[in-house]
Amino acid sequence: MEELKYVGKSFTRLDERDKVTGAARYVDDLDFGPNLLYAEIVESPYPHALIKSIDTSEAEKVPGVVKVVTGKDFPYRFGLYMHDRYVFAQDRVRFIGEQVAAVLARNPKAAKKAAKLVKVEYEELPYVLDQMEALKDNAPIIHPDLANYWHVPWYFPKPGTNIAHWRKVRKGDVEKAFAEADFVFEDTYRVPRYAHCCIEPHISVALYDYSGRITVWSSSQSPHTQRNLFAQALAPLGISHKDIRVVVPYVGGGFGGKAGVSMEILAVALATVVKGHPVKVRWTRAQEFYNTYMRQALVSKIKVGVKKDGTIVALKNELYWDAGPYAEYGANVVNAAGLSATGPYRIPNVWIDSICVYTNKPAAGPYRGFGYSETHFAIESHMTRVAKMIGMDPVEFRRKNAIRRGDPVAYGAPMNPNGLIEAIDKVAKEVEWGKKEESKDPNKVIGKGFAIFWKAPAMPPNTSSAAFLKFSEDGSINIVVSGMEIGQGYMTVMAQIAAEILSVPIEKIRVELPDTDRNPYEWQTVASHVTWSCGNAVKRAALDAREQIFEVVHQAYHLEKETLYLEDEKVKCKTDPEFQLPLKDFVINGIQTHDGTYRGGPILGRGIFMPEFTTTVDDPETSQGGHPNVHYTVGAGAVVLEIDKETGKMRVLKAVEAVDAGKAINPDLVKGQINGGLLQGLATVLYEDMRFDDKGKVLNPNFTDYKIPTAMDVPKEIVPIIVEVPQPDGPFGARGISEHTMIPAAPMVANAVEDALGIRIKSMPVTAEKVALAILQGKKEVE
Amino acid sequence: MAIVHEFEYFKPGSVDEVVKLLSDYGKDAAVLAGGTDLVVRVKDGFETPKAVVDIKGIEELKRFEFKDGHLFVGALVTFNELIDSEVVRKNFPVLWEASKSVASMGIRNRATLVGNMCSAVPSLDSGPAVLLYEANVVVKGPSGERKIPVLDWFLGPRKTALEKGEMVVGVSLSVLEKRHGGAYIKLGRYDGEDLAQVGVGVLAIEGNEYRVAFCAVGPKPVRARKIEAILSGKELTESVMEEAMAAVVDEISPITDIRATREYRMHMSKVMLKRALRAAVSRLKGEGPEYGTRLI
Amino acid sequence: MKKKITFKLNGEMRSVEVEPNDILLEVLRGKLGVKTPKYACGRGDCGACTILLNGKSVRSCLIFAIEVDGAEIVTLEGLSKDGLTPLQESFIEHNSFQCGFCAPGMTLTATELLEKNPHPTEEEVKEAIAGNLCRCTGYVSIIEAILDASKKQ
Repeated sequence: MEELKYVGKSFTRLDERDKVTGAARYVDDLDFGPNLLYAEIVESPYPHALIKSIDTSEAEKVPGVVKVVTGKDFPYRFGLYMHDRYVFAQDRVRFIGEQVAAVLARNPKAAKKAAKLVKVEYEELPYVLDQMEALKDNAPIIHPDLANYWHVPWYFPKPGTNIAHWRKVRKGDVEKAFAEADFVFEDTYRVPRYAHCCIEPHISVALYDYSGRITVWSSSQSPHTQRNLFAQALAPLGISHKDIRVVVPYVGGGFGGKAGVSMEILAVALATVVKGHPVKVRWTRAQEFYNTYMRQALVSKIKVGVKKDGTIVALKNELYWDAGPYAEYGANVVNAAGLSATGPYRIPNVWIDSICVYTNKPAAGPYRGFGYSETHFAIESHMTRVAKMIGMDPVEFRRKNAIRRGDPVAYGAPMNPNGLIEAIDKVAKEVEWGKKEESKDPNKVIGKGFAIFWKAPAMPPNTSSAAFLKFSEDGSINIVVSGMEIGQGYMTVMAQIAAEILSVPIEKIRVELPDTDRNPYEWQTVASHVTWSCGNAVKRAALDAREQIFEVVHQAYHLEKETLYLEDEKVKCKTDPEFQLPLKDFVINGIQTHDGTYRGGPILGRGIFMPEFTTTVDDPETSQGGHPNVHYTVGAGAVVLEIDKETGKMRVLKAVEAVDAGKAINPDLVKGQINGGLLQGLATVLYEDMRFDDKGKVLNPNFTDYKIPTAMDVPKEIVPIIVEVPQPDGPFGARGISEHTMIPAAPMVANAVEDALGIRIKSMPVTAEKVALAILQGKKEVE
Repeated sequence: MAIVHEFEYFKPGSVDEVVKLLSDYGKDAAVLAGGTDLVVRVKDGFETPKAVVDIKGIEELKRFEFKDGHLFVGALVTFNELIDSEVVRKNFPVLWEASKSVASMGIRNRATLVGNMCSAVPSLDSGPAVLLYEANVVVKGPSGERKIPVLDWFLGPRKTALEKGEMVVGVSLSVLEKRHGGAYIKLGRYDGEDLAQVGVGVLAIEGNEYRVAFCAVGPKPVRARKIEAILSGKELTESVMEEAMAAVVDEISPITDIRATREYRMHMSKVMLKRALRAAVSRLKGEGPEYGTRLI
Repeated sequence: MKKKITFKLNGEMRSVEVEPNDILLEVLRGKLGVKTPKYACGRGDCGACTILLNGKSVRSCLIFAIEVDGAEIVTLEGLSKDGLTPLQESFIEHNSFQCGFCAPGMTLTATELLEKNPHPTEEEVKEAIAGNLCRCTGYVSIIEAILDASKKQ
């Protein structure tokens, strides 16, 4: 195995200089000229109501106002996996904050002033804010038309109810297994709503020019998917995909919240009524909280059966998800998490019901972890309890039951190569598992908590990535792809892959930000899959370019291609050490032969990657038979938690996390994901706390009262561990890790609290207040 | 983020001009110093002044002077200036510790002590400190200058003893005659910046004299007289401490809101009182913990 | 009532007409071509709008533009004009930023810190940047870079 020169090294990020100097441009930094119009949205004050009338006459009179629109101007239903969402509310509103009308004006003040003058008459309808309530027989039905909605074949909505999707997994015979088990334990866990809190709020600018082309600049993880959804949503206008252009500059954080289409549709729709004028819709921080995707809330009723020796024989998991009123994306969270809601364990008998329920809270959708953070809170809390109840060490229990390569997962497909045991062992060692620690402070106790995790990219079976790679006269390279640099370091990783194949140093490689006119297709930058998928496409493009390079050298110099190799930006020959041809000499201009004619021309690499083994064709009653997930990334995490018994305050003394990256193409970037993901996960369990009033209004849509981590909240010590069990079909063995780093945080904290205090808290967040009051009230369990 | 509400902006050069404007506009005027409170409220529509009076051009309001045992903190003195001041740290350590707990660097470079006291939000961090040090609020109005003892200053949530046409030119604090130690402990939801869910300030003065004040657990910051009476003249033994903690429930009236429950606030008020008292006594003796150390 | 204000911006005298209710952040971005201070919360909670006003880090979303008549403002563009500062070099070396949206505010706050306190402890660094929210990095790479830059001072 040759030593890799670029892959596996922590190069400086390609975009770091842009960001450090302030050169990096985000959508709101772009100037659109004096024709720019500003939009202000009129929002619903009710969780569920019929719209009786909208009077825009007063609003239209405000100086500076160009147009006022309402739902009837855009009677379009759309969505990623199901068409259940509206550009503007039509006959009714379904959550507080839903867009009902919009004002377009020459300046933001006029827009805001006019928006307040739009008069909407509502007739309130009964509403439901909790998924369990929404499942009851007498619950108000939020989508009476559910039967008529288009959806992907792997969604199973139940018309006549509030069930947007029901994923059933049935393997083996759980009832028999429970009856025969030595020990069975069941309990319920609750996870509330959470918000992504990207520092850059959502924003979209759209222009419908006089020739009928639409150009959109948005802060998005998914330019091509956005283009596709815009085309679908505006199908009545008959605009071809080629006439919709989505351009994405740098994005200030995504975390899943900028996947698919949320508020961006508004700019596009509004642009169509003011031809020739760019329209900007910039979300406030408050709107960011209540009118973009939130993370679903979950009630998980989980039952596990084990043998005396700790072998898990059966698992039943009933998952009830609160998805808000529009589940076009969120139902896939329910689907993906449902298929894998066993956790990374080998379990022969499995019963999972993962039910996506409509409610009148804001819409929920993709968030880092895609449902796995939520399900793992329940699963990993439960597994630790089961282990302790049968007198087994929780880490030993996990080692014993950890899923291994080749084991069938819940839906029958085989588990990929993985370093789960190695991750467990390394984390346990680093955190000195088994060694009880005492605090010097008599008020404090120290507990340790452990959790393992897995996740597979949740994607349709035919998602793909494509890459072009072109040289310039000086031998530098442009890689043209539509993956999105949302901070994870994707650009740098693509450059490192190309550098390795073509021997061109990183400093001579650019990776271009997406423009759907010019950059080839990428499904979305989600699912932690672009390192793998787009990395493969870039690798193929680089190999394609290399093949062309060798071909032209062969034609010009008659050297056998098998003897050629690339090193230091030159073509060299194993059988002729004298032969050294610099790439820059011919990658544009070709090679001149002995008779003065030329061979070659511009070297242009092309690569496409689409998995050919995935399928969602399965039995809808059991989920057996399909192969919906490409592979799983696994890992383990542990925390050493110091708790003040008087105040309930918890401080992380040490957080350790191991993730199996297959091959860490840039170890620095993997560590960055561990640091960032862990802290984000710890925040969800320790202090992020979304509050609603009794009508479903978000009470804390700001950082004053929804607390995300500051530099003061960093754990005393974080130890990132990279495990590398190669992914056979990954570029250089790599697989994705970015979402995963968040997943173990919540359960490992809950487990540490139990270890320290003997108190089991079964709902999130596990705040200082909850802990302190539990101690005061002498509770052993908190619902 | 656009503000629709329109107002006139004034930047007077003297206190007399400010007084004139405030008298003319009455409730329709708002004084602007750091703006970290006012600007948010105007954005949210909670304040709709017709006149915004920017006092940052008035030199005398920048006065930050320690003379003959009296500290004068002008209306424009920011929390960071208080933190950077050796005089404040040495002589009024609880005010120093409270200032350190306010928001973040970028806010403290603008937010003023006087502005905080004028906002009179129930959770104001400066509340307990100024009550403990029994400061005086120096006010100028149409009928001249007057000094309002801080114990008469806070009247309710966002309500002070300021009358129409008056502005606060500064706060004066006198060094205590005897040596003292103190502490300000603030309850937040995590370790980053937060508004106090409970604030406890304590002085332990040579000769077993104590002063105790709370904020964020009632409509205004208060001195806890009952607790002070229990502690007065006594050594801080276990039983004295317990008696003091038991009296907390009679001194405060916390509510449940999205930040914390009544139960947790009540409980933490006791715990924080205990820790603040212990730290104050220890510091009086010249021992740690250093001011600014996290006590919860 | 529009008023013309004049102030020094990144070393150059600039003039612009503003209404009293115009927010400084929006005027810098919309009328003066300065794009690095960002809108992210509008309430002074996140630090993305941080600028240096008369040498001190402040939240430009909490300042009416009209207040800065006669003042001196420095943004990240001003810092980067003549080449990178040692702090910026350190950020690059440490791959400090991921999405980069917090970088301008964070850099100005850290610049102020190192001017005031050339050799801060780790605790002092954390306290100083506690008002600049970063959702991506977990702060580790940022803190390391600041400490490293301070060692080289």
